[in-house]
Amino acid sequence: MTPVVRVEGLTKDYGSVLALDSLTLEIGGGTTGLVGANGAGKSTLLKILLGLIPPTGGRAEVLGHDIDTQGEAVRAAVGYLPEHDCLPPDVSASDFVVHLAMMSGLPRVAARERAAEVLRHVGLAEERYRPMGGYSTGMKQKAKLAQALAHDPRLVLLDEPTNGLDPAARDEMLGLVRRIGHDFGIAVIVTSHLLGELERVSDNVVVLDGGRLLRASRTDEFLNATGVLLVEVLGDDAQARMTAALTSAGVAAAARGGMITVDAADREVDVHDLIRDTASDLGLGLVRLQVDHRRIEDVFADADTQEVSDV
Amino acid sequence: MSDPSAATPEGASVIHDLGYRPYTGARRGPGAIARALVVTGFRNAFGLGRSGKSKVLPFILLALNLLPAIVVGGILVFAGLEELPTGYAEYAGNTQVLLGIFVASQAPVLFSRDLRHGTISLYLARPLRSSTYALARWASLLGATLVFLVLPIVILYAVSLLAELDVSEQTRQATVALGLAGLLALCLAGVAGLIASWSTRRGFAVVATIAVLLIADGIVSAVQVIAQEEGRSQVGEIAGLFSPYSLYRGLVGAWTDAETATPPTSTGMELAYLGMLLLISAACLALLVRRYRRVATA
Repeated sequence: MTPVVRVEGLTKDYGSVLALDSLTLEIGGGTTGLVGANGAGKSTLLKILLGLIPPTGGRAEVLGHDIDTQGEAVRAAVGYLPEHDCLPPDVSASDFVVHLAMMSGLPRVAARERAAEVLRHVGLAEERYRPMGGYSTGMKQKAKLAQALAHDPRLVLLDEPTNGLDPAARDEMLGLVRRIGHDFGIAVIVTSHLLGELERVSDNVVVLDGGRLLRASRTDEFLNATGVLLVEVLGDDAQARMTAALTSAGVAAAARGGMITVDAADREVDVHDLIRDTASDLGLGLVRLQVDHRRIEDVFADADTQEVSDV
Repeated sequence: MSDPSAATPEGASVIHDLGYRPYTGARRGPGAIARALVVTGFRNAFGLGRSGKSKVLPFILLALNLLPAIVVGGILVFAGLEELPTGYAEYAGNTQVLLGIFVASQAPVLFSRDLRHGTISLYLARPLRSSTYALARWASLLGATLVFLVLPIVILYAVSLLAELDVSEQTRQATVALGLAGLLALCLAGVAGLIASWSTRRGFAVVATIAVLLIADGIVSAVQVIAQEEGRSQVGEIAGLFSPYSLYRGLVGAWTDAETATPPTSTGMELAYLGMLLLISAACLALLVRRYRRVATA
């Protein structure tokens, strides 16, 4: 698949701050999570990709268009949901989305059709005809998402789409983001400071730190890199006996809380079978046998310790 | 057209979820987008396409602005006068307070609103360049201002034709008035637009614009009247260079039969008035474009 975004040696120096430090990366289709602390360069990267601010050095391509010379073509094919508030209070979502679809080049009639359609997809029903000033935060985020989709972009840049939402609205928004990437066939780059969210929606994760690329890989690589199984057994002194039995069978096993971690990486025998048989032989109830999912936070923790050891 | 209620044989309508459908139709270029923005902005300046109460002020001002023209027209027709009681170009001078309030109150609709609510970032993330956006907004304000200035001239001209006044003379005067109206509109749209683009608060923009337009003119007028009384019209002529309204009034005095205090008397001074009016317009427009470049890269 051709990359949606290709960035080479991109640098943005604000004078006092080096926002991007010769960043090189490629982002493919599907949903990509862009992670980083505040000031890591996420927003700067999005703005440069939109052609709003010129980079100090390096080059970037979005959907095959050079941002330097073809910014207009980039912006025509990209949808953008900004982090901050951007809705005029005295206009209805319906009128607003129609207007912005026209600002992306759609003729009026087509803009009306598209607006009705995307508002339906994001789940704004009758309230679309009310002025947006009276909207809840959840409805506002939906209206912002609708305007980003109004012109059927090939890529959407979502800057913190779940900011300020309550848990239910957050789930709904994440569901929408996943649908955009999977069902609508639109590439998504979504930023968030809540890593758990990106874990749920993104196929790939790009981690920025201080304007540099910390890591870019598939989300499941982040999560499944441990190769560790979690086992929970029930019975008299179950944990100790099980650990001892597994260790004697030549498997590295250790207690962690109420569970046993089993290192299943690079083994020829199927450890799952071994665990099942061992539990059965010992007469213990096997309550749980699952892959130890890491969380993206762990990657950060690893990176931090690595950085400390580098110093 | 088929009856939508007959979507099924039973006649009951059914909603089908067609899923997401990509858009394959036409996508227009920046020219068409800018035109659409100008039209929307022009409508918004009169409150059209916005909430009901935002229509109140612009239409009251427009009605008040047209009222004298209608009254004058009535008097002209019924009293059978030989000439218009007020000149075409003088009209805008007489209603300049209404005009000032209109421009001051509607420029923020076009400029401050997008900055205040952050909508500007949605425009900037779309194909139009920031400079084109600024020019389109300015063009909307210019259009709205021209409607305000040109409608009374059109009404007076129509009435003068109905009253069978000398057509060639009326046409000449109306044409001069239209040219002057264009110059004034350029200048007002530039000044009001620039002030509104620097202020995210509507109230501040309104007050600042009225101050610049009306108070500056008040001061200049006072100087001009005193200069005339004192017999030093040279001072008044130079003072007239320093406010849009007094520049307009000076040119009205020079190019029409209207009586104004210390109009420019020499050709050089007339050119200075004209040049100043154009210079203010051009400078405001350039600053406006620069302002939005800054906003875009902030």
